[in-house]
Amino acid sequence: MTMDDAPMVGLMGRVTGTVGPGLVGEVIVRVRGGAEHFLAYPADGTGRIERGAVVMVMEYLPPRTVYVEAMYDS
Amino acid sequence: MPMVIGVVAGAVVLALLVIVGIFKLMWRVAEPNEALIISGSKHRTEGLEEGMGFRIVTGRGTLVLPGVQAVRKLSLDLNETELHVDCVTHQGIPLKVRGVVIFKVGDDFVSIANAARRFLDQQKLMSERVHNVFAGHLRSIVGGLTVEDMIRDREKLTGQTRAACGTEMEKLGLIVDSLQIHEIEDPTGYIRNLASPHAAAVQRDARIAQAEANRLATEAEQQSFARMAEATRDSEILQAGYQAERDKAAAKARQAGPLADAAARQEVVVQETRVAELEAHRREQQLQADVRKPADAKAYEKRTLAEAERDARISAAQANAKETELAAAAEATRVKTAAAAEAEATKTRGAAAAEATRATGEAEAAAAQAKGLAEAEATRAQGLAEAEAIKARAAALADNQEAVVAQQLAEKWPEIVRAGASAFGNVDNMVLLNGADGMADMFAKALTMGGTGLGLARQVLSSMNQNAAPAAGTAGLNGFVPPRPEKVAVENDEG
Repeated sequence: MTMDDAPMVGLMGRVTGTVGPGLVGEVIVRVRGGAEHFLAYPADGTGRIERGAVVMVMEYLPPRTVYVEAMYDS
Repeated sequence: MPMVIGVVAGAVVLALLVIVGIFKLMWRVAEPNEALIISGSKHRTEGLEEGMGFRIVTGRGTLVLPGVQAVRKLSLDLNETELHVDCVTHQGIPLKVRGVVIFKVGDDFVSIANAARRFLDQQKLMSERVHNVFAGHLRSIVGGLTVEDMIRDREKLTGQTRAACGTEMEKLGLIVDSLQIHEIEDPTGYIRNLASPHAAAVQRDARIAQAEANRLATEAEQQSFARMAEATRDSEILQAGYQAERDKAAAKARQAGPLADAAARQEVVVQETRVAELEAHRREQQLQADVRKPADAKAYEKRTLAEAERDARISAAQANAKETELAAAAEATRVKTAAAAEAEATKTRGAAAAEATRATGEAEAAAAQAKGLAEAEATRAQGLAEAEAIKARAAALADNQEAVVAQQLAEKWPEIVRAGASAFGNVDNMVLLNGADGMADMFAKALTMGGTGLGLARQVLSSMNQNAAPAAGTAGLNGFVPPRPEKVAVENDEG
């Protein structure tokens, strides 16, 4: 019955704005029955993830910030 | 008793209704696009830190104690804010930017709590607040971009927007769905100038392309016209050909009717002819059967009969001839015999007759001789007597011619009267007015004429006598000349 926020960590998402050092990226993640976008930063701090890549949320900083890592070595 | 039950039932119903009403007052349901912010009592708030003082409900119903707890709604709907910002680009070019920001309250409880704390009573003013926030942020964004970037590099624009506003809006519990630059007013003409070379090149290319296209179009058009003319020519030729064929077919079709008629008529005539032939044949057969056969039969009958009759006749004739022949032979024999007998008899009789005749003849000759002699003598005597008489009459004539003529007239009187009567011979129907006296009168006149004829006869006789013997000098009365006595004697044969 608790109306907790869905656990974000471990969710997968898609990059809609390039993620990289010095950039504010954007990923869209399926959560709470819908899809929401979050500001995204690289989890390792150096990698650049282009648009369209699949990422996994490594860290969630409320309210709208996630740290992501590329799922596949592309 | 029933009253008690009714009261109890009514009370129960009333209590139920009251309970339902209270429940309806206490139970609040959050719409999909709103979050309920419930404050008042001290209770645990899911997802938020302890002691926050309110709880957030989204997407479901919850019990609210009226009077104890306050319920406020925070809309999670999309909002938009028109932006009219004068800004300067990275290159220092002043621009007037018109754009729109589309934002909403974030869906997570942290964002809802942040937004609720900031905008719960100012939801109507949220756009204005955001406009103020974004006006400054857009300046910084545009200041970080060049005009070319703004026009061409949307990724850079959105990236800059996220970099400039993302964290800022995060603080407000808002998320920016989209930032659109609608219009860029360029007072210095930078963009136009920027575009000019390209526009000129494009115009040039366009003109070239236009000219080329015109040329190609004209060529194509002319080729098309030529083709059209060719096609028209071909089509007209074909049409003429087809028309000719149509005309031919039509003429043929027009003739087909009469031809068919004629064929049909010919057929009919042929059939009729056949019928007539059959009819004639039938009639001929009929005639053969009705007429010829009977006729043949009759003829055959007749012929057979005739032949039989002829044969019979022939046989009869042959028999007859034979019979006749035999009879003739018998007759001949008989006749011959008879003739021989007759001849013999005749000869004998002839001889006897001859003898008798000779004797008779001799006797008759002697008698005739005697008689002839006697007759000769008598004739001689008569002749002499006549001569004497003539001589005497001649003498008398010489003496009295008148008397002779009167005698001759008296001898000829019947002939004279006949000649006078012949004057009436040609009269078919003579009407005599005086009856018998008239007739006598007439005859008297005719006889008078005969008397006159007598006078005429005398004249003729006298003239004849004058012509014959003018030298005689014996002219009688009234010039009458007596005829010569010789002629009178010969013609007056009374013997």
